[in-house]
Amino acid sequence: MSVEADRNGKTLSEQSVLGGHAPRTQRTGESLPFDDRLHLDAHRWLVDEAYLLDAQDYDAWMARIAEDVHYLMPVRVTTALGAGYSTSPGMAHLDENKYSLSRRVARFATEHAWTEDPPSRLRHYVTNVRTFRTDKQDEIIVDSAVLLFRSRGDVREAATVSAGREDLLRRTGTGWALARRTIMVDESVIRMQNLAIFL
Amino acid sequence: MTDQTSVIQDVQRGMIPAHIYNDKDIFELEKERLFGRSWLFVAHESEVPEAGDYVVRRVLEDSFIISRDEKGEIRALFNMCLHRGMQVCRAEMGNASHFRCPYHGWSYRNDGRIVGLPFHQEAYGGEEGFKKKGQTLLPAPSLGVYNGLIFISLDPDAEPLEDFLGEFKFYMDYYTKQSADGIELRGPQRWRVKANWKIGAENFAGDMYHTPQTHTSVVEIGLFREPKAEKRKDGTTYWAGSGGGTTYKLPEGTLEERLRYVGYPDDMIERMKEQWSQEQLDVVGKDGFMVSAASVFPNMSFVHNWPRVEEDSDEVLPFISIRQWQPISEDETEIVSWFAVDKNASEEFKALSYKAYLMCFGSGGMFEQDDVENWVSLTSTAGGPMARRLLLNSRMGMLENGQNVVEPLSAEEYSGPGSTRVGYSEYNQRELLLRWADHLERPMEKAAQLRVGTDPIQPPPAAGADPSRAAGSTAIAAAQITSQEA
Repeated sequence: MSVEADRNGKTLSEQSVLGGHAPRTQRTGESLPFDDRLHLDAHRWLVDEAYLLDAQDYDAWMARIAEDVHYLMPVRVTTALGAGYSTSPGMAHLDENKYSLSRRVARFATEHAWTEDPPSRLRHYVTNVRTFRTDKQDEIIVDSAVLLFRSRGDVREAATVSAGREDLLRRTGTGWALARRTIMVDESVIRMQNLAIFL
Repeated sequence: MTDQTSVIQDVQRGMIPAHIYNDKDIFELEKERLFGRSWLFVAHESEVPEAGDYVVRRVLEDSFIISRDEKGEIRALFNMCLHRGMQVCRAEMGNASHFRCPYHGWSYRNDGRIVGLPFHQEAYGGEEGFKKKGQTLLPAPSLGVYNGLIFISLDPDAEPLEDFLGEFKFYMDYYTKQSADGIELRGPQRWRVKANWKIGAENFAGDMYHTPQTHTSVVEIGLFREPKAEKRKDGTTYWAGSGGGTTYKLPEGTLEERLRYVGYPDDMIERMKEQWSQEQLDVVGKDGFMVSAASVFPNMSFVHNWPRVEEDSDEVLPFISIRQWQPISEDETEIVSWFAVDKNASEEFKALSYKAYLMCFGSGGMFEQDDVENWVSLTSTAGGPMARRLLLNSRMGMLENGQNVVEPLSAEEYSGPGSTRVGYSEYNQRELLLRWADHLERPMEKAAQLRVGTDPIQPPPAAGADPSRAAGSTAIAAAQITSQEA
């Protein structure tokens, strides 16, 4: 498993304070061959998503989010080897459902979200994609690495965030939808002025 | 170091040379004279509940292990091996009976006492060459606890923590003592922003004036019903002891109705009534004010707000957050932000209050996002030569002749301690910066030095932070360290 689980095998989504509603589907078997149709679908979905997020086209992005989504970004902490955990117990940067995501998106649509006016220039680099079947016909697990480059103003130093993601994608009548995302950011201290972005 | 006399004098008159928000020389002076002796918040007892639990926290460049030793006492130990100076603990948190230096293997108990010194006899000739007995990791020179909040000071002669906090303790209890068992702290989230540390501390201390402008968007999306311009100015700013903050005016009603208005359930209200003094209850129930943001000099802040967090409900949910503005340089701050909640609150309340925190404040919080954008911009602008020509007017609330625009509330109008006024003003920002100026103009005495292995030192002091004495506060002088003039 790419996303850490505790000693009882509970995933971070299950351990999180606000993840009670989250779908629990887990991966089965080895990663799919890169020419598998499911993998091709998943990879395309992630790349399309990256373009939407770069363009801050959040209405289109929200249309790809399932109603029961759990969107989790734990706080990483430095712990001794063997401590058995590397996330802050009971705390996250983001622990969101569809409603709280919708408020964040709605805020950017107002004329008073100063942090994104003028908007950042964003580039989401997505790589290391692999796809797994689950025991559900219409659900797959997709791992990916994401690097976000964010530039504000003309000469301010750009900020980057590196993270690994585990996504649960669900097939719907209109395409795949994101039903669960766990973002394992690679820094304990975030080097970005805020998380007015999505990973 | 350049002479800062005129800067200090300007600040004392309420005129702020804009460059103090991005000035290397000023920052050097702050490090030495302000952070070198102030009481600074580092952790809460609930972060180290069990024997052996520890967290590692910084005071600027200095790393301290905040641990609970085997006897249950809180320790703050300078994270530097007595031998060659390695960090003996390189994790941020955990549980350990001992800390072992990876360099040469010296090891220390979680109360700081040295237990392992490899080849003590062969290499040093035993005690005659190196006095191992009684050696401990250097304790923080002063340590104090109030409501479970652990503070340290690098000044061994710091006044007792409770004396320093003074009447601000009255207001701290609203955030950290809603029942006999106090709060539990979760987190922190940590992130770095290219802004000077003073800006956030000033903002949280008293800037009600920014709320309707900066935070328009969170009202528009239905997250918050309060920060409309006409409502914010009905609240107060207060300054008491070493801290000050802002309040919102509550609608008419009884104490219980007013606490329900900000979202507290009846079981929590009952515990508040048992816990708080009559005066603390009267600020809410009789005077009709509810605390919001606040700062303790120099760099600790609180926030208490009550947003709507659920889709199909008009109910609001209160949350509390504690934070530290950790200076990194003259133009960079690490924000260290915790979620706090009353230990005795229901699990359901704790979860929703946490959700309210995440949506509003912290690294992803929607209020916070717009604040930081402003502060980064301000800091950047303050770095150039033109900023040295501007003295920013921080005299809001005061006429040119020093007369108040609005007089403080009388004892009949207001039950809390300190000086309290309705409406927009910059009294609190001035109070913070006056203390800042006092520190900067007062030279430091040379700190005592310890000659390791030569001078005997006493076992380090503990906070006496027995959880059963949670309400108490203790301040302990440094271990007896032989003074050594360089």
